[in-house]
Amino acid sequence: MNKKEVEKLAFFARIKLDDEELKNVPGEVDSILKYIQKLSNANTENVESLFHFPELKNVVRKDEAKTIDREVQKRMMAMGKDKDDYLRVEAIL
Amino acid sequence: MKITIKETQEKLRKGEITVEDILSEFFARTKERNEEINAFLSVFDKTLNDIKSKDKNLPLYGAFFSVKDNILIKGERCSAGSRLLDHYIAPFDATVIRKIKEKGGVFIGKGNLDEFAMGSSTENSAFGPTRNPIDSERVPGGSSGGTAAAVADGMCNAGLGSDTGGSIRQPAAFCGVVGFKPTYGTVSRSGVMSMASSFDQVGPITNSVEDAETIFNAICGKDENDSVTSDLIRKKVKKDLKVGIPKEYFVEGMEEGVKEAIEKAIEKVEKAGIKVEEVSLPHTEYALPAYEIIMASEVSANLARYDGIRYGLEFDRPVAKTIKDAYLENRGEGFGKEAKRRIILGTYALSAGYYDAYYIKAQKIRSLIADDFKKVFQEVDALITPATPTLPFKIGEKVEDPLSMHLSDIFTVTANLAGLPAMCLPCGKKDKFYVGAQVLTDRFHEDTLFHLAKKLEEIWKQ
Repeated sequence: MNKKEVEKLAFFARIKLDDEELKNVPGEVDSILKYIQKLSNANTENVESLFHFPELKNVVRKDEAKTIDREVQKRMMAMGKDKDDYLRVEAIL
Repeated sequence: MKITIKETQEKLRKGEITVEDILSEFFARTKERNEEINAFLSVFDKTLNDIKSKDKNLPLYGAFFSVKDNILIKGERCSAGSRLLDHYIAPFDATVIRKIKEKGGVFIGKGNLDEFAMGSSTENSAFGPTRNPIDSERVPGGSSGGTAAAVADGMCNAGLGSDTGGSIRQPAAFCGVVGFKPTYGTVSRSGVMSMASSFDQVGPITNSVEDAETIFNAICGKDENDSVTSDLIRKKVKKDLKVGIPKEYFVEGMEEGVKEAIEKAIEKVEKAGIKVEEVSLPHTEYALPAYEIIMASEVSANLARYDGIRYGLEFDRPVAKTIKDAYLENRGEGFGKEAKRRIILGTYALSAGYYDAYYIKAQKIRSLIADDFKKVFQEVDALITPATPTLPFKIGEKVEDPLSMHLSDIFTVTANLAGLPAMCLPCGKKDKFYVGAQVLTDRFHEDTLFHLAKKLEEIWKQ
């Protein structure tokens, strides 16, 4: 993986890397990728992917609006820059 | 004071000590040691009031917890060991915290961890590394290293951690205490910061197997706020248990002292009359690489929420002009090295053109690994393996070499891939360090695991 690829991936992931990181991260990620290549030796023909376990069923609840505790709501909003119960962010467009 | 929950409860019941006595011992120990060990990121001042309001007959009355700082306790800071959440105050209790409160437990403080639970040494914390209480030049393991160190050093008598690839078990092994990762889906993760959701489980770190069982029984069960939870399906414990030793876990590169101690521990098990036989889990060598891909992929998705906007962040710099710049700068400044590496690797593995070669391939391997265990549990009731390939390593030794750090989890990730319950407990010593063994059973067979581990605990104490 080269510097340019890492820069592109970091941009997709919305992470700004500094010059030192751009120098080191490609090698570090490469060492892990090289180790991962081992997987190509495994025969996975006719093997199904395992995404979930058979004993577990989705826990569902009714799709309805719930009023949450005013205190919890206030605590959540207190974490960001809020304005009348909305979070304020920088310009999107 | 190093004491089990059970011993604390007995002493309280007999009137040999009061809650004031025991709490002041824990606080005194914390005050004396935390500056050096850095096990706690925060220590509470309401603990005495809390315990005075509890019913003495509750099952966790007398349990004083260190809670890993990625689990929410209402009104308390929850940093996840990250600069991004330095100012974050939890708005509600995690389900596990609510259950502990209802069952009589109280909290001493929040345990240090690798940032967002990603690491094997607790060196990736934005708030400094935790040191191993047995030797402060060495790591306590990770990522629940702060909590494991606090329990091992007698700053509290109970711990609650999270385990994605070994984060409860590996630090328990390095600190010489008991760490238990339950069957996937038995304990709610609501209010626990997600790392890799198909692996994450919450579990206890304690001074005895029985204490781990007590805590597990208090926190398990279905929760409508965690869509993969299930009520515990209790399986019968067989009379004569047969234990398997998977030969693939005795790999090259294992430290000699660890290997010797484990072999000796297994001999003791045989001598005690438990049936032991060698078994094979042929796909073990693919476990860690498959884990790396799935974990990094899920991490890259789960950590997308940390944008420096919703959960509070105040950097001392001019405000970004657009939201895109705000994301780039907040996340660039907020995340540590390891988090960045894993997010980038995960973004790569999930990107078009690589998805089948990496992510799907890894999920197929996961299937093969789960099948290996399924087959082996038709022959034996439980498995014993080493917990870690090495003794606690030196602080700084592996921090620049991510692959060698990740290899620390080589024996623990399989339980997460297959969703199995697994416990690490001390089985011997090499010099001043404890060597940990790992006990695994099939999914939902926690009762067999506790039954066997209690026997092993007795055998290995002698």
